[in-house]
Amino acid sequence: MSKVAFSSWGRQVVDNRQGGDAEVEVAVKKLPTTFGAEKNIAAFMGWDGLILGDPSVDVVAMAAEYARRVQEDYCCAKCSPGKKGTRVMQDTLARIINGQGEERDLDTLENVADLLQNCKCTLCQTSAIPVADTIKHFRNDYLAYIKGERKPGKAVDYKVKLTAPCQDKCPAHIDIPAYIEAIKERRYDESLAVIRESMPLPAVCGRVCPHPCETACRRANVDDSVNIMVLKRTAAEYERQRNLQPPMHSKPKKNKKIAIVGAGPAGLAAAYYLALEGYPCTIYEALPEGFGGGMIAVGIPAYRMPRHILQRDIDIISAMGVEIIYNTRVGKDISLVELKEKFAAVLLAPGAHRSKPMGVEGEDEGYKGFLAGGIDFLREAYMGKPTGMGKKVCVVGGGNTAIDCVRVALREGAEDSILLYRRTRKEMPADVWEVDGADEEGVQFEFLVLPKKIIVDDKRQVTGVECVRMELGEPDDSGRRRPQPVEGSEFIVECDTLIPAIGQDPDLSFITEDTGIEITRWNTVVTKYVPLKNAAGRDLNDVMGNPLSRILLTDMDGVFASGDAEIGPLTVVACVGNGHRAAAVIQRYLEEGEAYLTDDDFHEDLLSHLGVYDKNEEVPWLDAVDRFNQNEIHGAQRASKGNYQEVELGFKDSEAVQEAERCLRCYRVSMIAV
Amino acid sequence: MVSLTIDGKAVSVPKGSTILAAAQQLDIHIPTLCWLQKVSPTGACRVCAVEIEGIDRTMTACNTPVKEGIVVTTQSERLTKTRKQIMELILVNHPLDCPVCDAGGECELQNLTYDLEVNRQEFAAEDVNPPTIDGWPLIQQVPSRCVLCEKCVKVCYEVIGANSLFVNDKGDKAFIDKHLDRCTFCGNCVSVCPTGTMISKPFKFKARPWALRKVPSICTFCPSHCQIDINVQGNEVYRITSDDQGTTNNGNLCIGGFFGYDYINSAQRLTKPLVMDAELGEQVETSWDDALEMVVVEIERLRSESGSEAIAGFASPRLTNEENYLFQKLFRAAIGSNNIDSEARFGALRALKALDKGLQLHGASNLVTAIGKADAVLVFGADPTSEAPAVDWQIQQACRSRDGQLIVANMRSIMLSQFANSQLTYAPGSEIALANGLGRLLVDRGLIDEDYLNQVVENLDELKEQLAAIDLQQVVAATGLELAELEKAADILGQADSVAIVFGADISKSAVGTAKAAAIANLAILSGALRKESGLYPLDEKGNMQGLLDMGVFPEMLPGFQNYPDNKAKFAKAWNCELPDGGLDAEGILQGIEAGKIRFLYLAATNPQSFPNSGRWMKALAQVEVLVVQDILPTAVTKLAKVVLPGSSFAEKAGSVTSLDQRVRSLEQAIRPVGEARQDWDIFAELYGRLTKTPVTISRSGILTEVSGLTSLYGDVCFMGDDRNRPCLKQPYSPGPKSLTWQLVSASDECSGLQLLTGTSRNHFGTTSTWAAAPLEIEPEGLVQINPADAQAVGVKDGDQVKLSSDKGSTVGKVKLTGSVPKGLLFAPHNFTELGIQQLIPDGSNRADVKLAKA
Repeated sequence: MSKVAFSSWGRQVVDNRQGGDAEVEVAVKKLPTTFGAEKNIAAFMGWDGLILGDPSVDVVAMAAEYARRVQEDYCCAKCSPGKKGTRVMQDTLARIINGQGEERDLDTLENVADLLQNCKCTLCQTSAIPVADTIKHFRNDYLAYIKGERKPGKAVDYKVKLTAPCQDKCPAHIDIPAYIEAIKERRYDESLAVIRESMPLPAVCGRVCPHPCETACRRANVDDSVNIMVLKRTAAEYERQRNLQPPMHSKPKKNKKIAIVGAGPAGLAAAYYLALEGYPCTIYEALPEGFGGGMIAVGIPAYRMPRHILQRDIDIISAMGVEIIYNTRVGKDISLVELKEKFAAVLLAPGAHRSKPMGVEGEDEGYKGFLAGGIDFLREAYMGKPTGMGKKVCVVGGGNTAIDCVRVALREGAEDSILLYRRTRKEMPADVWEVDGADEEGVQFEFLVLPKKIIVDDKRQVTGVECVRMELGEPDDSGRRRPQPVEGSEFIVECDTLIPAIGQDPDLSFITEDTGIEITRWNTVVTKYVPLKNAAGRDLNDVMGNPLSRILLTDMDGVFASGDAEIGPLTVVACVGNGHRAAAVIQRYLEEGEAYLTDDDFHEDLLSHLGVYDKNEEVPWLDAVDRFNQNEIHGAQRASKGNYQEVELGFKDSEAVQEAERCLRCYRVSMIAV
Repeated sequence: MVSLTIDGKAVSVPKGSTILAAAQQLDIHIPTLCWLQKVSPTGACRVCAVEIEGIDRTMTACNTPVKEGIVVTTQSERLTKTRKQIMELILVNHPLDCPVCDAGGECELQNLTYDLEVNRQEFAAEDVNPPTIDGWPLIQQVPSRCVLCEKCVKVCYEVIGANSLFVNDKGDKAFIDKHLDRCTFCGNCVSVCPTGTMISKPFKFKARPWALRKVPSICTFCPSHCQIDINVQGNEVYRITSDDQGTTNNGNLCIGGFFGYDYINSAQRLTKPLVMDAELGEQVETSWDDALEMVVVEIERLRSESGSEAIAGFASPRLTNEENYLFQKLFRAAIGSNNIDSEARFGALRALKALDKGLQLHGASNLVTAIGKADAVLVFGADPTSEAPAVDWQIQQACRSRDGQLIVANMRSIMLSQFANSQLTYAPGSEIALANGLGRLLVDRGLIDEDYLNQVVENLDELKEQLAAIDLQQVVAATGLELAELEKAADILGQADSVAIVFGADISKSAVGTAKAAAIANLAILSGALRKESGLYPLDEKGNMQGLLDMGVFPEMLPGFQNYPDNKAKFAKAWNCELPDGGLDAEGILQGIEAGKIRFLYLAATNPQSFPNSGRWMKALAQVEVLVVQDILPTAVTKLAKVVLPGSSFAEKAGSVTSLDQRVRSLEQAIRPVGEARQDWDIFAELYGRLTKTPVTISRSGILTEVSGLTSLYGDVCFMGDDRNRPCLKQPYSPGPKSLTWQLVSASDECSGLQLLTGTSRNHFGTTSTWAAAPLEIEPEGLVQINPADAQAVGVKDGDQVKLSSDKGSTVGKVKLTGSVPKGLLFAPHNFTELGIQQLIPDGSNRADVKLAKA
């Protein structure tokens, strides 16, 4: 949308129809100029108003179509104003378009729009907003229809999508309002079925998801966000605790086979959705049987993600006809080229399991007590191998892996477990609740320190680490204040074990040059994408700086990439969302010979770039019920040596229902005229 | 407590209450349409919208919890306008067929339209209502009348657990649809429908609601004893309803209660006494005087020829307390025979004996409502959905709405299994091993409350010693369950503060039912199920089984569970007669008939076709010299009778009945007995008078006063002044200090090869409901349930005929393939005399080794 003729978006009216070139920030920065590669976006209609790029768009016809789609395709009918009101709205608009309207119909429409404010949820309620905007600002166009001066023009291609702030923010785009609604109604099985449409590892993401959705929860505009993650756990646990059979049925087996590298969240998610479609999938996993799950297994400790519960999610996927070949490292036991020959398509989802170097003096010396990296430490601890850990452990880093390391160190028998981080607690990228958890268990924190040099004794055994004090300077790109060393503040932290945990990246050595697959300088796999630009001419990117709408096909035909190795190290839920899209693209590739993105994919990406959540929105609602947090085992005892018992305990069913009742069901409909 | 202000009045309500509840406390009326107290709020209709100061939108009172200090307004110009306009929207395209709508006169939409003065319509839309759904059995759905309040959906899902109804389609085309295979035809969707959307087909167009007289009574199809209103016009029952308010069943009914009434109106009812004409060889109609005189003459003849011990009789759980009392008095006092028994012999009496011996308990230990509040429920060898639906609803209340944990121990998968936290599908015959195993695990895992047990159990040390000797590996082998499953169940039972244990027909009707019930009684002691908040509930599917037992209609005991030999003199004195010694039970009577020693048999509301080894019974009945049958419908048994006395259904009589949880309540006579039929107690009373040659005037209150005088059991029951069938409770149970003696149970119940288990169908109640068109429409014949693997082994498909045979008899029937029975087990309902499944069952049992072949 290069130029805006009219906008009521965000309740700010900009009207350039009679000349003028006032800008609309959303249109300039957030929206792409095209829908997919080619189609120009002429108008955008949604919960927060109308943005009209092309002044020739028939706004009345668009409003009529919007009302029709809301009523016929999305209105759940579960409240009277919504069910009946949007029907009256649809039919009244249709009457006007058909030349049978009267001027008082416009009053009726405004009256209905008003009544829709009494709806149970925001779907029909917000649908009234753009319709009312058109009546207010395009009255003459309506009157032209009513007076018979205008007839409907040729059919317009509208792209319509249902979304919600939380659903949009969730990288896997789970239909969160639907699964919460099902819990409200105590229909846990239906809730889980909804979750599984976008999330095949519900028990996992009910526990360890960083839940970005909760940062886009409109209930927070009233009091506090809904505990979306634990509600997911509730749905998953209902089935597991009752030994109920998962209800999924795969379609009849198809012939074309798919190889997947890595049994992590992306690989498992892709396998799940491909298996549902009947495609035989074979996953090659480098680790032995019992250690499937990728980073969930070897990166997330069992006190956060009990292994038997992770294993159940994996077993369910296996039972759908997915073969997992363990102990097989692609690049060593079988080459990528061999895979390509044996299978109709290959998905690379090896994850990011290689620790990044820390840049501290002595780290290459092979000192005793200096461990390879946080992720290696977690893996070895989990697999029961010797970790080389002593009694006084220092972990360097501020992310979740670093926190996992200090907490695991306690459970492995460390007497002191110390975290060294160069900024303050506030800047830690680790989830707040994880840091609090470490605190409760007795982890010691050293903030604003930077390790400079490893101190060893004459037996090359680590005895400490020399650090320098830091202070916070100006904010950097990430918005966090950049730490700077305080000169002359060097001091030594005594320890016998030093674990760097400052990040990890993918090990892509198995992608040999002959494959022609390009790799980025951040060591991720390059995949094809549909270039999208905003009105300012800038490329649209996702939060990791990758192109927004990626097809996930690599430079080698039939080879796709997904997960941390494609996105860059991120989260389980991001990998699942990415793996789900990869599965869909692979299916299109196998069935139609072309890997491409659908209108729905483009719409999804467009909305996530636009952002559906508005943290400044005033949400009138009675804040009668506080957010309910799950029960938890408290006290340092929970981290005693060898105690990997789950710390968080989830909800009782009635607590889940009470929490689900807090959901405002913020559905909204987006419509684009192209 | 939370304080708030509504319309200027201050009120305090418990945290979590809704604004609607707070308003109700102040007697402030907020209009509602979709709100239904017994289910979770839906918030669909939006007419309960209220204003809250500081909140820039209306909030719905029905589902908005209160907050400290809020100021609520329920009446304002804006609210009135909003409510009216929402009603106008609801009424867009609502058909104007009120005059022929079944709900006319009792329509909440009509009432609300009137109350809110909605007298114009400013909205219009295309009518996209889907067409009327006629294809469902028993229930018609008229989508155009639907306001989508979802009351039906909620009651179907939350209360009944059927999950059959759902909202289909989107927008204004949306309508209530049904997964037909899940529907239990309980009719609750019809009951809760605020409009004429859900219609009972049998009632449709039959009567106007305001023309019906509602007679408060009790449904006696099962021992739950739901409180109902018999809707009567003329001398005919038109429908059964139940109020949500003030009934123990909260207005909920099952297929029997809601749809099963029309056997009352059956054209085949016995309406005149019949006597066998020896010359014609068939029964002919006669007068009451002649029929009763013939009975008296025969009794007197046989008594003089063979003594009163040649005379025997069966009473019935279909009869009232008064009738059962009179029956045993008739036999013991007027005839001089203690050869009286009933079908309780094959089930309920076994459970009673076990509980009497172990716990001095004569029925359930608590009200069924305590189940609904239990932290853990163990359903052991019972299918509450079929045996006592109201118990099922309570279990669902506990385990689906209140975080209770459910353990289902059953040979089969039952309806409640889908909600079970622990499903223990045990091998047939392993109940005692299972109960003992759970007992040992409770002790082993430190889950018993020793202080409590020391108070009530005399021999705690012995108990622990005996349980320690239980070999868990043997339990695992016998039950076919894994140890981890048993441990999980023990943990659920042991960690709960309040425990309800429900056991049923699979236990008590088993050949070693007494031992099995005793083993469960032990488990009840150990798990604390006998404590005040907990309960132990023996189920028997027959309506007034508890009343029958209470009235002592079995040779071992007199009314009030008074041992016969020891208390004979007291009753003889009160009744001013000699009471006989001894007395035969059912098995003794059967042998007596076969040996020619029992020459006169009186079957009151009893059909031995449903007794185990029914073939043997039918053979015996054919050879008894004088067979008197008192019943309401013609059966193979009435056909054999020398005298047939037409009795009455529950709607035609007054009397009291006792529910499975000891509530004593009265049946009100809603209609006159059909034809010349008489109330059963009236028949017994007249026979009593004729036999004792004393004129008797018997009134209900007279009988009850007599019962109260002779037993402590009903001493405190208030039968009078019972304005709305209010429950009267017998004395509550609580075990005295050191009153319980622990005794480890061991008994063998072996089986080999393919097993046939019989029990009641979910859609039928005894054999009576097979005379009612509605339940028959849903389940017209008895099917043999078989695991698909077993079916495959004999090469039969769903609906194929099979021949089943045991060493007692054989029958041919259709099979239904289902995973709810495990491999090696067949299940068949005993409700259908055509299937005659009880012919295959050994005496006094509910299970047989059978052979199966394609027929």
